[in-house]
Amino acid sequence: MSKTKIRIDYSKCGENGKVDPRDCHKCLEVCDPCVFLMHEALGYKEEDLYNPQHWRITPVWPSVCTRCFYCVKACPEKAIKISW
Amino acid sequence: MCDWCMKHGAGKKWYMNAKNYSDQLAKDLNLEDYLTEQWMNFETVFIRKIMGLSSIGLGYKLKMPIIGRVIRWVVERMIHKEETKKRNPMRADGHFGQVIPLEDGKIILSELAAEPIIENYCMCRWMQRGKKEAVCINFGILSEIIEKLPRFIPKNRVVRIDREEAMQRLEEHNKKGYIASVWFQPVPYICAICSCESPECGGLRLRNNFDLNVVYKAEYIIQLDQDKCEGCKACVSMCQFSAIRYIPSIDRVIIDYDKCFGCGICRHACKNDALRLIPREEYPGFDGKY
Repeated sequence: MSKTKIRIDYSKCGENGKVDPRDCHKCLEVCDPCVFLMHEALGYKEEDLYNPQHWRITPVWPSVCTRCFYCVKACPEKAIKISW
Repeated sequence: MCDWCMKHGAGKKWYMNAKNYSDQLAKDLNLEDYLTEQWMNFETVFIRKIMGLSSIGLGYKLKMPIIGRVIRWVVERMIHKEETKKRNPMRADGHFGQVIPLEDGKIILSELAAEPIIENYCMCRWMQRGKKEAVCINFGILSEIIEKLPRFIPKNRVVRIDREEAMQRLEEHNKKGYIASVWFQPVPYICAICSCESPECGGLRLRNNFDLNVVYKAEYIIQLDQDKCEGCKACVSMCQFSAIRYIPSIDRVIIDYDKCFGCGICRHACKNDALRLIPREEYPGFDGKY
């Protein structure tokens, strides 16, 4: 089976988008195998670590993805794309 | 008895050795700085690069020929790292645990755990499911560290709890269907009892999906009294490891002992007292399989 590639458009969600993942996180709730991880992005200075703009969602375990597309349907910003 | 009991158990199970809970041990290993650093950066543990590789897509990386085996060896060594000086707090070195039944959890909380005891938000559920639920019971120096980090602290609730209340809370979580587990953080210091869920829990994720020994199976295994089982299927819904299955033709449940972690959650659902835990070493085929 080919690798599942899940891409999140960070210009719509997270650092540069208008949605803070900590308020939305709809993709996390609908994902049965918990593919996504919500975390603060790396590479920022220690002091503004919890700045809301620095939070993002990463599809961290794509190997357990079942390709159900629930996350694609649930995302209000249409930021998630799945391909294989 | 596993290797860790031999090394840190003083003749008993590793989590029954009072020395592993002592403040003196934490001081000797200089854990205050280590744990502060680790918990400050807790959410980034899976996306941080370790020797050029992050955990993103770990399942695919482990399946690569040869390279996959090297990665597995590196990760296992990192998880179980004991050399104090070489440990890196950013990637949770030496942080692994074992599933325990409620009875053992109660013994730990009533006799062994160091004061103060706190109950704080579970970070795994927050990161992987977006839910904040106060189910993690921490003790010893880790409590004082977590209290300084507001994002772990439940609002409108007393955070510090006494031993009686901690035991009561653990029982509540256990009856709800959460698996109690005790954690080295880092080995050999013990400072947490979690109430985990699969697949949200980061440790159970690595164990169940990638077969990395982050969480060991309990020292116990379930035993079914076949005569007492009436086939009500209540236990099936409790098991987080899908180790119990209902078979219509014989009108009772069967147990997949390979999958059983020995957490004892299913017992809470049984009306007929048909399920009980027995020590793993009494079960010939499964002695030593953690």
